[in-house]
Amino acid sequence: MLIEVRDLAKIYNGKRGLLQTSFAVEKGELIAIVGHNGAGKSTLLKMLSSWIIPDSGEVLVDGINLENRIALVRKIGFVPETPNLFDFFSVEYNFKLFARLFQIPFSRIEEILKEFNLLTYRHNKVQVLSKGLKQRVSIGRSLLADPPVLLFDEPTSGLDFEMTKEVYRLLKSTHSSGKTILFTSHRPEEIKTLATRIMLLHQGSVVFDGQPQEYFQSKIYENLYA
Amino acid sequence: MIRNIITLTVNDLAIAFKNKTIYLILFIPLFVFLSLQFVDQKNEELRTIQIGLIQNVEYSPVIIQSLKAADTVFVVSWLATEEEGRRWLKEKKIDGFLLKSEKEPRSLELLVLEKASFQTIAIVEGFSALQIAVEGKSKNWLSDIKSLRDSGIQRQTLPTWILMLVLLVGFIVIPAQIAEEKEKKLLLGLLQTPVRECEWLVAKLFLGMILIHLAVIFLHLLGKFEVENSLSYCAFIGIGSFCFSSFGIFLGFLCRTQASARTLGVLFYLPLLLPSALSDFSQKLHSFAPVLPSYQFYGPIKAILLEGGGVSNFPLEWIYLCFVGLITSLFSYLLLKKRWLM
Repeated sequence: MLIEVRDLAKIYNGKRGLLQTSFAVEKGELIAIVGHNGAGKSTLLKMLSSWIIPDSGEVLVDGINLENRIALVRKIGFVPETPNLFDFFSVEYNFKLFARLFQIPFSRIEEILKEFNLLTYRHNKVQVLSKGLKQRVSIGRSLLADPPVLLFDEPTSGLDFEMTKEVYRLLKSTHSSGKTILFTSHRPEEIKTLATRIMLLHQGSVVFDGQPQEYFQSKIYENLYA
Repeated sequence: MIRNIITLTVNDLAIAFKNKTIYLILFIPLFVFLSLQFVDQKNEELRTIQIGLIQNVEYSPVIIQSLKAADTVFVVSWLATEEEGRRWLKEKKIDGFLLKSEKEPRSLELLVLEKASFQTIAIVEGFSALQIAVEGKSKNWLSDIKSLRDSGIQRQTLPTWILMLVLLVGFIVIPAQIAEEKEKKLLLGLLQTPVRECEWLVAKLFLGMILIHLAVIFLHLLGKFEVENSLSYCAFIGIGSFCFSSFGIFLGFLCRTQASARTLGVLFYLPLLLPSALSDFSQKLHSFAPVLPSYQFYGPIKAILLEGGGVSNFPLEWIYLCFVGLITSLFSYLLLKKRWLM
């Protein structure tokens, strides 16, 4: 078991958030976390990546507790919905900064730039890049330390058709390289195309956890989205 | 067209409310009004003037008797030597002391810390009133006023500019940068690396301290201001930059956006700058200002730059600034750990 979540909870001002949630993730899974706005999808991912401190519960990633952030950051990469890059600096600077902090050799940056077709943009300031390219840089940066688990919060939000396809390709290739991926999404076609497992959150609780086929045929899907 | 302009104006006002700019509009006039209340004091509220007389100087008996009689206005302290008088003046035990004038033997010279201060004005006014009451209109008892701080106006105002620079970095630059990192989620991004919270905090403290040192050095280079006691000066600039950088980081953590950080910065900047900088001109401000960390920085800097004082004369001020810096750093660390308003 790669990730084990036990009774994880976070409530904002007495309402919304994530109620006590438990689940486990096996190595190599590609899990879509779905649900309406405010269902608790982003809260869940942000807690797993230490962006939000949970009210209660426990998370183990490859045996490492969530409270041990310094060790955990090498296990989990997080790609937020809006890329949080130092946009007044170049693409290369952003990679170098994180490589230094992770104490990773700069040769890894060359690999990532090549893998994500970013070589031509390496000296461009991030602020002049399109949202799709920024997302690509953001995904590349999260992979610098080669973490076994990747979390994507709405990875295709606000992207055009071509860029969406590009992100799908990156997700698939990352997954096929042996990574475990959890991503949140609103798009049924995205979920169908990518996910090997679906978790449906509704009002802060997991109300469905199973295979994509089961999900799209279930009453719960019909009731929520039909 | 007019409708659109009105709609846009209302929208802009709503934004000003939302990003708390409106607080500045209300706060600045209120603060100026309160400061003026402090500065514009009534005569009956004046404290007594501590005046020093040197034991081996022959003063006119009329003057001594008049000073003794006016004990509600003047408190006379007898000093052994002129040297002791200078020391008492620096330690602010007296407001000024009287010497025999070298030019006019029948007149007196007044030695004060600073010519342009409310104490000097009060002494001169008091002497003038006393003389009129005793002798009527005649030649002034005081023929000259000398200042212990005999430097020019540029030098005299240097401590105020230094204070302004330090507070500007601490309360305007640093909070805005912290809030920007929070607003753009850059800080959270950095915390997805093996960087410890305390490392990030120390780096930010260093940023503030470096910026303050650069600004101070630049000002000294431009103005060609020399410092006699440079070690003491550096010690106070160092502790001041630590204290106010730490305070600024803490303010940055209390805000979600850059706009609110700037507003909060100004709300702290003015009340810390003005009472300290104006404390020489108002008794009330002079008695109130020492509770402010800015005054604990300004006082020693002024003494070091203008009177040749040293860090050993101000251990309590140094400890006070250190304490404020440490306590605000601790609060910032706790807020960072809690991912406060991120």
